[in-house]
Amino acid sequence: MELKVSPLTKIISLSGFLALGFLLVILSCALFHNYYPLLDVLIFLLAPLPNSLFGKGSLDGADFMSENAGDAQDLGHFLTGLFVTSGVALPTVFYHCRLIGLMSCVMCTTGGLVIYSSIVVFSWFFRSSWEQDDALFS
Amino acid sequence: MDTDQSRRLFSFPFKFPNSANVRKAAVYLSGILYALGFWLFLDAVIYSKHANGSSVHVTFVDWIPFICSTLGTLTVNSIEKNRLLQGAMSSDSGITSFGGDLDSTMAWQARSVLFFGLALLAGGLSGSVVVLIIKFLVKDFNTYPTVGMGVNNVLGNFSILLSCIVLWIAQNMEDEYSYSLTL
Repeated sequence: MELKVSPLTKIISLSGFLALGFLLVILSCALFHNYYPLLDVLIFLLAPLPNSLFGKGSLDGADFMSENAGDAQDLGHFLTGLFVTSGVALPTVFYHCRLIGLMSCVMCTTGGLVIYSSIVVFSWFFRSSWEQDDALFS
Repeated sequence: MDTDQSRRLFSFPFKFPNSANVRKAAVYLSGILYALGFWLFLDAVIYSKHANGSSVHVTFVDWIPFICSTLGTLTVNSIEKNRLLQGAMSSDSGITSFGGDLDSTMAWQARSVLFFGLALLAGGLSGSVVVLIIKFLVKDFNTYPTVGMGVNNVLGNFSILLSCIVLWIAQNMEDEYSYSLTL
């Protein structure tokens, strides 16, 4: 906790990271003139959506008072696992079906994972910073 | 500590993992398994369209087991688990009072829907095996890139069945967890 990084630095470095992911995916399409791997970006952009939609019920009161909040969270987790695995599986399947080459497959998988992890790290950073604010005010 | 000791049913030296985190991990695992099954099957379909060297192609017949498995997963996991438990308790008491009758009707409905869902799941898995045998093995398509389409179909349906089981176990784990919370 000694290392103090300003939020602006975090945002700039994360946006650079995100752009690197997009660069990798778009290069994996454009270098081989084959735009199938672009679907991977769509899947990985969709992947953080269920958790951010259904995760709002995880306030401590709503968690064990009502059963529906837990069910909705379960659905969110299920969909997240489904999307992330789909994003990894899509270039692999395309490679196996000889739609894209090995280089393109590796670049597309790496780029998609970079995009997803940068989105997750973004939400994680700012949630933890809000919690720190809470601790500071109380 | 002492009440914790007396409340345990089994004498295993470890505690059963019934925390919320394990449940969350199991639900993630279930989603991962489902996506794996989906993509294994889709791999067979895309392979048949784009990289197929043989005369066998994936047609609608190959889709039927997958659709059955998916519908079965959806049916099994959309049942309210408390209904099954409630029916078991009311049938144990043996008293057909005004409320108990309604409960047993509800439980009978829940059980028949559960049976239907499990039959769909099992039908999906066995259907994929039937497709593999009749469409590939009987007609002597034994070499790997061709028979791989049928094998992928079986593996995909098995993965979907596994995902359904994991999700069922995870939801029962949640019931146990909330039960111990209310105690």
